[in-house]
Amino acid sequence: MNEELDSQLSAMFDDELASSECELLARRLSRDGELKARWERYAVIAAAIRAEPGVRLNVRVARRVSAVLGSEPALGVPARQPRRQLRWWRPVAGAAMAAGVAAVSILWLRAQAPLGAAVATPPLTAVPASRATAPMTASTTPATVAARAPSGPDSYVVPPRARAPAAIVPATELANYVVAHSRFSAPVARGTLLSSFMTSESAAAGSGAVFVESALDRPRDAQGNAQ
Amino acid sequence: MGADASDLSLVRRVQRGDKGAFDALVLKYQHKLVKLVMRYVRNPAEAEDIAQEAFIKAYRALPQFRGDSAFYTWLYRIAINTAKNAVVSRDRSPIEYNIDRNSDESYDMQGRMKDAETPEGLVLTEEIRSIVNTAIDALPEDLRTAIVLRELEGLSYEEIAAAMDCPVGTVRSRIFRAREAIDRRLREVFEGGLGRAEELG
Repeated sequence: MNEELDSQLSAMFDDELASSECELLARRLSRDGELKARWERYAVIAAAIRAEPGVRLNVRVARRVSAVLGSEPALGVPARQPRRQLRWWRPVAGAAMAAGVAAVSILWLRAQAPLGAAVATPPLTAVPASRATAPMTASTTPATVAARAPSGPDSYVVPPRARAPAAIVPATELANYVVAHSRFSAPVARGTLLSSFMTSESAAAGSGAVFVESALDRPRDAQGNAQ
Repeated sequence: MGADASDLSLVRRVQRGDKGAFDALVLKYQHKLVKLVMRYVRNPAEAEDIAQEAFIKAYRALPQFRGDSAFYTWLYRIAINTAKNAVVSRDRSPIEYNIDRNSDESYDMQGRMKDAETPEGLVLTEEIRSIVNTAIDALPEDLRTAIVLRELEGLSYEEIAAAMDCPVGTVRSRIFRAREAIDRRLREVFEGGLGRAEELG
């Protein structure tokens, strides 16, 4: 038998052992028959020293109690089953909660993504070269950069829309202008110009009906294209 | 180092389903409890029965024990109530009414009738006492003083250290060595624990 262990047992018997050591020793004491026998003898020694008339040292209470309790269920066993069920649900509930948070986060990020892309892309795609290089010029102050930043994305997004009216509306106006001033131009040059305007107009019409509608505004037809 | 830490660690183990830990608590307190119950009943066998009942009640009530008081204080209350109930129940018994309860002689007769103590058992008790006393007398002065202050006077290690003017660690060592010396003598007589005592008792 380990002397240190016995010394701890003696201190534990007197309630003079640290709690952490008591935990370990109590576990061993409940299982180790030899240690338990020594524990019992310590109790007998204590009782013998405190000897009083009529008190027997060879009491059989412990054996009898152990025999009676042997047929009873151990404490905590029935109460453990619902605890186990709860414990089984805890990780599942935790995982479900984590999955929910992850899904919400993904949806939120996806919802945020186009705005982020629009803010990030202007310097690469839509911003004119002069403005893209503006922060590098000496004349640009931080104040002007800060002032431009919020308005940038609004004016440079969706390039095709800006380009289609630019192709159609000037072509119509130019065609009207050429027809109105046909007397000042040669017939061959006028025909070439008109055919090129018509080609560009039909290309613009093929890209979307909205732009055709917007380009052929009614008052202008009544004035110039009726001819 | 908390007061009642050792009992509490055993109690927690019992509450988690470790019956072996309850055995340790019973082994530790069975003598004290029998001695306590002997204030209410005169014969040792009846005192043992009541102590046994008190331990079983304590075991069954242990899930409700929260550790607000020391385990022995809690056990003490259970034992006192069990002893009082046993006395009341015995006094109400029709058989007992045939005996003059106020007569010490009748009590002694009851005691003798119920007492399962055999002559061998009585001899054994005296033998254990004799061995322990002889072993204590043979101890060096410092070990003897330490164990007597602890077991007879009930002083804590700190109080003994103050009384003996030595560190607490020394007190712990002295008490352990005193116990080991007494235990060696006991083991020489009772090989294999106190099994022989059970047989004789």
